[in-house]
Amino acid sequence: MSDILPSSLFIQIQDASGNWASDFAENVIIPKIPHLPVELGTILVMLACAGIFVAVVPLLPLVLVLAERKVAARFQNRTGPMRVGPWGTLQTLADGIKLIFKEDFIPPQGDKLLFLLAPYVIFACSFAVFAAIPFGQNILVSDFNIGIFYIMAISSVIVMGVIMAGWSSNSKWSLLGSLRSAAQIVSYEIPLGLSILTVVMLVGSLGMKDIVATQENGFFSWLIFRSPFTFLAFFIFFISSIAEVNRTPFDLPEAESEIVAGFHTEYSGMRFALFFIAEYANMFAVSAIAVTLFLGGYEGILPGYDFLGGFPGFVIKTLGLVFLMMWLRWTLPRLRVDQLMNLCWKYFIPISFFNILGTGVWGLIFKTDDIWSIGISCTIIYVGLISAYALAGRVFSRKPAPQTS
Amino acid sequence: MDKYIRNIYKGVYSVLVGMRITMRQFFEPNVTHQYPYEHDFEKKQNVREIPKGYRGQLYNRIEDCIGCKKCEMICPVDCITIQGDKLPKGEQLWDSMNVVHLKDGREIIGILDGDDKDINLEGSLTLTNTTSRLAPQEVIDRLEPSGDESRTQTISGDEVSRVVTRNPVVFYLDQFDIDMSLCMYCGLCTEVCPTECLVMKDSLEGIEYSKFDRTDLIFEFDKQEMYNKNDESSIEAAD
Repeated sequence: MSDILPSSLFIQIQDASGNWASDFAENVIIPKIPHLPVELGTILVMLACAGIFVAVVPLLPLVLVLAERKVAARFQNRTGPMRVGPWGTLQTLADGIKLIFKEDFIPPQGDKLLFLLAPYVIFACSFAVFAAIPFGQNILVSDFNIGIFYIMAISSVIVMGVIMAGWSSNSKWSLLGSLRSAAQIVSYEIPLGLSILTVVMLVGSLGMKDIVATQENGFFSWLIFRSPFTFLAFFIFFISSIAEVNRTPFDLPEAESEIVAGFHTEYSGMRFALFFIAEYANMFAVSAIAVTLFLGGYEGILPGYDFLGGFPGFVIKTLGLVFLMMWLRWTLPRLRVDQLMNLCWKYFIPISFFNILGTGVWGLIFKTDDIWSIGISCTIIYVGLISAYALAGRVFSRKPAPQTS
Repeated sequence: MDKYIRNIYKGVYSVLVGMRITMRQFFEPNVTHQYPYEHDFEKKQNVREIPKGYRGQLYNRIEDCIGCKKCEMICPVDCITIQGDKLPKGEQLWDSMNVVHLKDGREIIGILDGDDKDINLEGSLTLTNTTSRLAPQEVIDRLEPSGDESRTQTISGDEVSRVVTRNPVVFYLDQFDIDMSLCMYCGLCTEVCPTECLVMKDSLEGIEYSKFDRTDLIFEFDKQEMYNKNDESSIEAAD
């Protein structure tokens, strides 16, 4: 743990037991406000930190929505929003203000309670994920020992909100969208969980900080290079997480050309904005998780690197993955439902099981992550990629089978 | 098993090919014009030229206008309003003069030596009393012979595109308004105009039709100060 920067700058509730918070309460708050119980002070400190977090994180979608629009425009040789603020940088703010003032419509035939509750479920769950993501050495809300398990669990609750929204809207588009979403998320949770498992098997811990701590020796100690199986697992994780956050090419639940807007068809105004914000927060969250698990988290390319607790490096890596998502979005068309399930059940899940097996064997052979294991793993990855590239010509040189009509 | 691996290959390969294509697009220059704010279309790539005969904004070169009201009469939507009157008999605003249009867009106004009827462009033209101005799209200053006998200019016939004779002005034009919110761009008024002073612009430059008040779309072409011969401060020679 580095103490280069004053810890008061950051949110630092390090241990699940709240040691830091209670220390802070005892030493700083109690002398100023006498007769305050220590427990209450601790809770106040925790609430204050959480408040900072909850206030800062929603700014992310504000930036990401603009980034998405600008990147989309760039891919189509346009300029994107240009009128609101310099180069359209305040466009999202203007959109938000517009959404606040719009009518909050509730379908009269729907289930009113569920309809009102659904956006909050989705919003709360997608923001709860951020509690376990280590943004930097001292920048995380809580470092509990089941971090990645908690993230898996809480992000799966989002599908509950989606089904609630779809059911309560009393609209065929919403219902179809939510059913598709349920099928998709339930399916893709499996390869997602299995590829996380490969990492957990190698590290031996579920805590996010523990996972990052094993990647502190520079670029080649990142878990993606630790074994050929984690290399595969990274891609499976990334593609599955795209499916998890319902983005193109897996955006069946909100396919606008088929089912208007999917599960949030009937929502308007601020409730719609909540879905929208949650979607972009999710996008950032899964990228951040991928960075933490596979790409070194807040650890940098060089071992001694400790600038601002690794926070800028973490954000750059995460935004790189977010850009990759946008790039994929403007490259690939939407899959059909059967193609989606085909990809998951016939390809990702068998490969993930193979990964688990391979990682187990790898862990038995190489007990520690010394230079030998990393060297051998990098060599295997390199040789595999090269031979795949060389074989590609042979695979595609075969004539396609004659079409029977 | 063979087909299985082949499928994976194909999937990965086609995604990578697609991503390469989109990434190439990412670095292409954009084609958007920030139109009312940006007029230098020539600098942009992928810009189509404005076609010949494009009917743009109506524009009256008021110094050539003789106030005949033909355009006002023929306009199907009555978007042109002209008010003016003849001067008392024997009075005129200025004498007849010649306008020499040069090929580089300049115009030189003065009185040609010799007869207007047989202009020989193979030799050179000599103008006295000259006033010249730059491109016709510039704001029209007062355009009349400078009144300075010593200002003489000799122009080579190669540079001249055409020579126009302007008759002495014997009328007074109070108002020449065109309501562009009514105009239907039929171009009839430009066809009937005897002096060809009423034209439709063939460029988009400087045109901004989005206004908060519809009366801002009424373009006024009367130049009261043009008739004020005593106003010496507005004499400007652009050469």
